[in-house]
Amino acid sequence: MNILFIKFKEVLSSVLPIVLFVVILHFTFLPLPTYLFIRFLIGAAFIIVGLSIFLLGVELGITPLGNHVGSSLSKSNNLAILVVITLVVGFFISVAEPDLQILADQVSAVTGGALGKMSIVGAVSIGIGAMLVYGLIRIVYNIKIHVSFLILYGLIMIMAFFARPEFLAIAFDASGATTGALTVPFILNLAIGVSVLKKNSRASEQDSFGLVGITSTGAILGILMMGLFAKTGALQGSAGSAAAETTSIIQPFLHRFPVTAFESAVALGPIALIFILFQIFSFHFNARTTGKILKGILYTLIGLILFLVGVHAGFMEVGSDLGVRIARQNPFFVVAVGFVLGFVTIFAEPAVHVLTHQIETVTSGSIKRGIIFAALSIGVGAAVALSMVRILVPGIELWHYLLPGFGIAVILAFFVPELFVGIAFDSGGVASGPMTATFILAFSQGVASAVPGLNMLEYAFGMISVVAMMPIITIELLGLISKIKNRKPKEQV
Amino acid sequence: MKEFSLILCIVNEHLASRVIKITGHAGAKGATVFYGKGMVRSKLLEILGMDYLHKEIVLVIIEKEQSPQVLSALKKEMSLEKPNHGIAFSVPLNNFIGASHADYYDRNEERESREEGMYEAIFTVVNKGSAEDVIDAAKSEGARGGTIINARGSGIHKTEMFFAMEIEPEKEIVLILAKKESVSKIVEAVCAKMKIREPGNGIIFTCGVNDAVGLVG
Repeated sequence: MNILFIKFKEVLSSVLPIVLFVVILHFTFLPLPTYLFIRFLIGAAFIIVGLSIFLLGVELGITPLGNHVGSSLSKSNNLAILVVITLVVGFFISVAEPDLQILADQVSAVTGGALGKMSIVGAVSIGIGAMLVYGLIRIVYNIKIHVSFLILYGLIMIMAFFARPEFLAIAFDASGATTGALTVPFILNLAIGVSVLKKNSRASEQDSFGLVGITSTGAILGILMMGLFAKTGALQGSAGSAAAETTSIIQPFLHRFPVTAFESAVALGPIALIFILFQIFSFHFNARTTGKILKGILYTLIGLILFLVGVHAGFMEVGSDLGVRIARQNPFFVVAVGFVLGFVTIFAEPAVHVLTHQIETVTSGSIKRGIIFAALSIGVGAAVALSMVRILVPGIELWHYLLPGFGIAVILAFFVPELFVGIAFDSGGVASGPMTATFILAFSQGVASAVPGLNMLEYAFGMISVVAMMPIITIELLGLISKIKNRKPKEQV
Repeated sequence: MKEFSLILCIVNEHLASRVIKITGHAGAKGATVFYGKGMVRSKLLEILGMDYLHKEIVLVIIEKEQSPQVLSALKKEMSLEKPNHGIAFSVPLNNFIGASHADYYDRNEERESREEGMYEAIFTVVNKGSAEDVIDAAKSEGARGGTIINARGSGIHKTEMFFAMEIEPEKEIVLILAKKESVSKIVEAVCAKMKIREPGNGIIFTCGVNDAVGLVG
């Protein structure tokens, strides 16, 4: 029994629910074309193997790297160094994120070039860099986390008031896109590396979480800021994925492989570069440690490529096909299937595994991963169900969800233990990973395309923002329940 | 007077809860768990960087005469006789204070007269965030310092249920190595400051150490 096998078992039990659900749908209500079904099964195999290798790689490489970078940044005891390095690191990690590139391409295409790709990527990445800096400064200077989120989301709300609804959708989606499978593990561990130095062990535990949540607001702020200054007419367009239809089973995998390999290598580039630079100027690790981290980075790359190929070639088209077919069924069925799909898909999201593992490590196993998974699943299930309702019921706009949702999230933050606030907002960024951004997004685009007379731009974008919002609320509720349960009278023997 | 033993059980990740259940059936009133890493001896796995496993270390205190039963129960139920299923062993304790009806104190004369070693290891298990106070109290009685280990534990009190899960609150273990003659003073100082003798505030136990180096001054 070795560590890879243990990861494999963990991943297998996480990916099986989504596979079983689609298989059951296939043999009952919604038979898929055979070539799609076989492709789905091959994709699932890719995902299981890829995710196992990826998680091992994160544990060996990205986790220690993030921790050590965080520690040496704060040990430098120099605010200028911390600000400049963090800003640069944040900017380049965000620029290299393939999901952001794809989103920017799509936005640029559907807006007929009114929003340039480069300016979207630039605005988001500057926002990410700036908020990463703020997030670290918050830890170092002990600024309360709920106050931070109150200010940040207050700012977003004010800016959103002046922005067009389309910008709102794009902005929230961008925040989901930038917190991808690679960024999240790195940022999570950066926070742990900084906060572990605190003498007060309670504070150091609380501050281990929240940085992902704070950083992802940078993308929203960046896009909204751009929306205030950019002069564009009303945005209209269709965001239907124009992927060439093919009935070949193997071809999509072969076609997808080089693209994904290139994108993943680019995304990993800044992280590898950070390691090399820190190793030369700060770490001076011995050969054994260096070797382990390099192996870890390599495994992360291999695992990510296999995972993404599986998702894109095996799952994506199944998602949109399911969406189109299901839209012809009765509305209740659409919402119910949406809920279950969200509920089971989240288990296969890579960063979720990293986060839950991190929670167990930081709390010495006091908060079990099972309970976090449960809260996340309910949250994402509810989010997808709500998105289906929005497509089916005319008149519901995105902000009808986001305003009360984030309002509740920010208010709850004042009543929930700080540790859970951090975990909750991090979960928001974590839940909107590659699995949601492809499979679930394809599904809801499929449903939306079958409903006539929709502004596709508003519906296709925006789904991710609800997925990023609901887990915040469910995890905060979890924290609230645990607080009430723990407030028992002083016990006597 | 009752005497106590410390049982240490090292098993693969996520199995600690089972160990706690087994020792609980055998009469243990609480347990403390922390994480560790086990190295695997395999050249190939070492080259691949996969030569480790996540482990959980469980500390359980029981009455001395029960120790063989508990160990054999662990062996049977956790299949410890098979390779790679974990290990368990017991260590005799000199002091144990904190659990109800357990104020076991080795008499000081006995301690002085005992042949083995000049030092004792003092373990204090307290709620998370209190470890620094323990070290402060110990330092005031001449301890050189202490090591803090993050852990979780289930106490002698009924564990709260959270839906279907038991809450195991976070703890900190403080390890202090001290000269025999100052052990009782340190233990008393920590007990007084942390109110260990009142229920729910933690436990403290000590065990003999054969030899120690690195304690300077």
